[in-house]
Amino acid sequence: MTYYLTTLAVYAGVDMIACLALSLQFGTSGIVNFSFIVFQAAGAYTAAVLSLPPDTANGGFQQYILGLEAPFPLPWIGGAVVGGLLALPVGLVVLRRLRSDYQAIAMLVLTVIANTVITNARPFLNGAAGLSLVPAPLAAQLDTGAVGYQYLYVAITAACVVLVFLIAQRIVDSPYGRTLRAMREHEVAAGALGKHVVALKMTIFVVGGVIAGLSGAILVGFIGLWAPATWLYPETIVLFAALIVGGRGNNVGAILGAVLVPIGFFEATRFIPPFGPPGLIPALEWVAIGSLIIGFLWWRPAGVLPEPRHVFPPTSPLGTIPARGRR
Amino acid sequence: MGRRNNVNGLAANARPGLARLGAIALAAIVLLAACSGATSTPSAAPSAAAASAAAPTATAATPLVVGVLAPFTGPDAALGPAYFAACLPAVREINAAGGVMGHQLTCKQFDTRGDPADAVPAARQMVASTPNLMMVIGCTSDEASSVAPVLEQNHIVSFCMTGQSEFNKSSFHYFHRLVPPDEYDAYAMVGSALDFNHYQRVALVFGNDIGSQAFVAPATRALTKLGATVVINQAIALGQPSYRTEVTKMLAAKPDVIFTEALGPTDATYLAEVKQLNGSMIPVIGTSATIDPVWFKAVSAAIGLPDLLKYFQAVDVSTTFSGPGYDAFKAALLASAADFADAPKYAQRGATLHLYDGVVMTALAMDTAKSTDPAVYNPVINKIGNGVTGATVVNTYKQGVDALKAGGSVRFSGAAGLTQFNEWNNSQGGYILVKYDDKGGEVTIGQLTQDQTNQIIQAGGS
Amino acid sequence: MDLYVAALGFALVSASVIAIAAVGFTMQFGITNLINLAYGVVMITSAYVAYALNQLGVTIWAGLAAGAVCGAVLSYLLNRFLYAPFQRKGTSHIGMVIISLAASLMLTNVVLAIVGPTSVSYTQDPGPTIRIGAMVLTTVQVLIIGIAVLLMLVIHALLTLTRLGKAMRATAANPSLARSCGIPTGRVIDGVWLVTGALCGLAGTVAAMNSDSFAVSNGAGYLITILAAAVLGGAGQPYGAMLGAVLIGVMTELSAAAISPEYKEVVAFGVLVLVMVLRPQGLLAKVGALAPAG
Repeated sequence: MTYYLTTLAVYAGVDMIACLALSLQFGTSGIVNFSFIVFQAAGAYTAAVLSLPPDTANGGFQQYILGLEAPFPLPWIGGAVVGGLLALPVGLVVLRRLRSDYQAIAMLVLTVIANTVITNARPFLNGAAGLSLVPAPLAAQLDTGAVGYQYLYVAITAACVVLVFLIAQRIVDSPYGRTLRAMREHEVAAGALGKHVVALKMTIFVVGGVIAGLSGAILVGFIGLWAPATWLYPETIVLFAALIVGGRGNNVGAILGAVLVPIGFFEATRFIPPFGPPGLIPALEWVAIGSLIIGFLWWRPAGVLPEPRHVFPPTSPLGTIPARGRR
Repeated sequence: MGRRNNVNGLAANARPGLARLGAIALAAIVLLAACSGATSTPSAAPSAAAASAAAPTATAATPLVVGVLAPFTGPDAALGPAYFAACLPAVREINAAGGVMGHQLTCKQFDTRGDPADAVPAARQMVASTPNLMMVIGCTSDEASSVAPVLEQNHIVSFCMTGQSEFNKSSFHYFHRLVPPDEYDAYAMVGSALDFNHYQRVALVFGNDIGSQAFVAPATRALTKLGATVVINQAIALGQPSYRTEVTKMLAAKPDVIFTEALGPTDATYLAEVKQLNGSMIPVIGTSATIDPVWFKAVSAAIGLPDLLKYFQAVDVSTTFSGPGYDAFKAALLASAADFADAPKYAQRGATLHLYDGVVMTALAMDTAKSTDPAVYNPVINKIGNGVTGATVVNTYKQGVDALKAGGSVRFSGAAGLTQFNEWNNSQGGYILVKYDDKGGEVTIGQLTQDQTNQIIQAGGS
Repeated sequence: MDLYVAALGFALVSASVIAIAAVGFTMQFGITNLINLAYGVVMITSAYVAYALNQLGVTIWAGLAAGAVCGAVLSYLLNRFLYAPFQRKGTSHIGMVIISLAASLMLTNVVLAIVGPTSVSYTQDPGPTIRIGAMVLTTVQVLIIGIAVLLMLVIHALLTLTRLGKAMRATAANPSLARSCGIPTGRVIDGVWLVTGALCGLAGTVAAMNSDSFAVSNGAGYLITILAAAVLGGAGQPYGAMLGAVLIGVMTELSAAAISPEYKEVVAFGVLVLVMVLRPQGLLAKVGALAPAG
C-alpha cells in the first residue's frame, strides 16, 4: 500500500504543479493553452536525456541525443528551462495575432504535430518507443527501491509544489497579476490603458512553460520512462477539466482540482470489482469521467472553489468569458 | 501524463439524449461500485502486498489472484481481452483440480490504457489492492519497461508479452517471457522470403508504432547482408483514411514481396489499396502479430478471403495447435465462454496459449515448492518449464498435481508445447512459416532449419 | 512524375471527403459559435450505421443516406439536449469545447462497448477502374468526388438563394439583431445542426467507403484533419473550408509521394501553422458567407 500511496502522492504533486501553471495561464490570464502537455513533455524529455548515460549504454537498444549523466538537480532545472524556452517560439506564433478560439485550435494542432514528429524521428528521442531506464534522481547515491526513497521523492515533490504555489500566489496578488486579470476581462481596454498585451501574454506563457517543464521532469524521474503515448493531446483536456472542477483562477482551487480529477476520480475507478466482458469497465470509466465533467459544468461551473473576488468584482458572471468583439 | 487515450473515435448510434441519460445512470452505478470497492478492498491489505501473498499463514480458503495487467482501453485495447482469455481456462482447470494447495484462483484485469505512465499507478494499485496476488500476465511492449521494475520490487512473478530486446538479458528475476523478441520475428521473415520463397526484392511496410518499428532495423540488416534488396522502407502513420499514394510509390519500387505489420485497420486499408492499384495482390509476409483473429477478420473483409489465403504468409513461433496440452487448453477455453463470451475466439492466438502455459506452470511451481511465497516458488518455475532429470512430462495441471502427489517431479508441456528457459527466463522456440485457412486457422507450410536461422541471426547482428 | 500525377488523383478523393466534413464543421462553428469536438465521433458512428445496414444486404448507397440521417439526428439531439442548454447558461467557449470533448469521450466508449475495437469493411463493388493519364481511380472514388462537388453546389445555393440560408447567415453575423428582425434564430439553429449533421454523416460514410477498412479509432484522426482544413480556410467560412480541404488533401498526398509517408500529416499541419503566422484570420476570411466578426 505504501508504494501505491507514494505513487499517488507524486502523481498528485505533478498534477498540482501542472494545474497551477495552467491556472496562471487560463484562469488568471485567459490564455487557452491546449498544448500544455507539450511543455510538460519537453521538460520530461530534457530531464531524461540529461540524466541518461550516452545512448551506447544498455546495449544501445535506444537512440537519443545528449546523454550527459548530469547529477540531480541539474536535469530538473534543465527540464524547466527547456519548457520555458519552448514557450518562446510557440507563444510568438500563436499569441501575437490570433483570436482566442483560433489559439486553442492552433495549439491543439501543434500538439498533434509535435507528437507525430517525435514519434517518427527515432534518432532524436527514440521515437515511438520513448526513453526508458531513465535513472531516478540520486540513483547513484541512494537505494531507489527502498521505502525511504519513496518518501524522499514525495518530500521533494511536495517542496516543488509549495515553491510553485508560492510563486503562483505571488503572481496572482501582484500588480502584474491584476494587469493579467484586466487583460483577461477586457483585452482591448487593457491595451488602451497602455498595457503591452502581447508582452503580458508572453511572460505568463513562458512562466507556465517553466512550471510545466518542471512537472514533466519530476514525473519522468519517478517513472523512469517517457514516450509519445504519455503526452497525447487529451491529457491537456483532463487538466482543464481539473481546473474547471477545482476552480480556475484560484490557486487553492487548482490544487483541489488536481486532487479530485486526475487523482481522485481516475484512481477510484481502479477499485471497481470486475464485471462484464473485459474492456467494459474501462470503457465505462471514460463514460463516467465524461459525465463528471458535464455534470460539474452544469451545476457548478465556477468550480468547487471559485476565484476569489479581487479588488474589482468581475464585470461578467463567472463561467463566462466575454466574447471579445464577436457580437 | 497519460491516462486518457481514446478520446475521439466513435459514437453510439443511440440517440445522444438517451445515451446521455443512460450514461449518467451508468456513471452513478460505477461510482457506487467504486465507493464500495474502495472501502472494502484495500482494507484487507495494510502492508505491502507481496508480503501478504507470501505469508504462509494465509488460510487454505484464501483465493489467489492472477492479475491481467494489460491495455483494455486505448489504441491497443484489443490485447487485454486476448490475455484475459488466457487466464480464464488456466484458472478453470486449476480450480477444477482442487486449486493450488487448496487455494482457488481468480482472474482480475488491471488496465494500463496502453500508456507507460498510466501503467505505473495501475501496477502499484494492483499490488496495493491485491494482497493475495499470485502472478501477473500481460505487460506488452506498451508498458513492460515501466511495470517490470515495479513487479520486480514487489516480488511478483510475471509472464510478459513484450517483444523489446532490452528484456533479452535483463536483471529481472521475476520476469518471464515465452515469446521471442521482435527481432527474431524479423529474422524469420527474412528466412521465409529468401530461403523458402526465394524472393529478392523486399518492401518493408510497418506501422509507425513502438511494436511494429522494432522489426525494421534487424530485417534491413539481415536482408542487406544476405544479398537481398530492400526496395522501399515505409513507416506508415496508423489509422489514416487512405494510403494510395504510399501504395503507388511502393508498387513503383517493384517488390517481390511485402513485409508488414501495421495493426488496427491500417493493414486492411493498405493491402486493399495494393490490390486495387496493382490490379491483383502481391505476396505478403506478416509478423507473428498478424496471425490473429482480429487481423484476419479485418484483412479478409478488405481484400477478400481467396486473396488472403493465396498471397499471405506469416511467421509464427512454432506452436502446433495440437497435442494433449493444446486439447486440454482448448476444452477449458471453450468452457470459459461462460465467463467471457469471446473467449473461444482466441483458441489459436499464440499469446493466449503462452500465457495460459505460464499460469499453469507457476501453479505447478507453487505445488512443487509447497509454498505461496514467490521468493520460494519463483526459481522453481524454470524447473517446471525445463524439467529436471527424471521429471514426468505432464500436459495438464491435474496430471501435474497427481504426479507430484506420487512423489515425482514434473515438466509441463502445455498448450504451446515444451518450454526451454534460458538464464534470463526467456524461452524462445523455433519459427514456423504459416498461412491462414478459410476459417482463420493457422496452417503450417514450412519450417526454417537451425542452420538457416543461425545464418540469418548472424547476418542481423544479434 | 507519374507518381505525382497519381498522388494528385488520390488527393482529389481525399479533398472531397475532407471538404464534405469540413464544410459541415465550419458551418457549425460559424453559426453556433461552438467548436464541436464530437464531430469526428458522429462521423464514425454514421459510418457504423451504414455498416449495420450494409451487413443486412442493403447497398452502400442506401447506407450512405442512412449515414446522413444518422448524422443529422445525432447532431440535432446533441445540440438540443447538451450544447444548447449549456450555451443558454452562458458557458464560455472553452467550457463548450470541454463539454463537446466530454460528450465525444462518452459516445466513443458507449459505442466501443457495442461494436468492439475490431475494424470492419463495407461490402461494395468498387466498379471498373478509370484511368486518366497516370491517375487511377475506382468508379466509387469518382462518384465520391462527384458527390462532394454536388454537395458544395447545394450548400452554396442554400446559403445564397434560400430563406433558411439567408437566415443562417444573419444569425451567424449577429444573433440578437437577427432575432430582433423577426428571424426565429432557435429554429434556424436547429436547421443548422440538421444540415451540418447530415454533411457529417455523409462525410463519415464516404470516408469509410474510401478507406476500405475502418475502426473506432479513426474518428480522432478525422477530427484533426477537419480542424486543420477549417482553420486553414478561415474558421466559420464554408468556402474557406472547401479551399482548406483541397489544400490539405493535396499536401498530404503529395508529401507522402515526395518524402517519407509518416510525415504526411506534419507537412499539412505545418502549412497550417505557417498560415496562422502569416495570415491568422485564415486564407479566405471576410470572403465567405458566414464571416464571424473578427
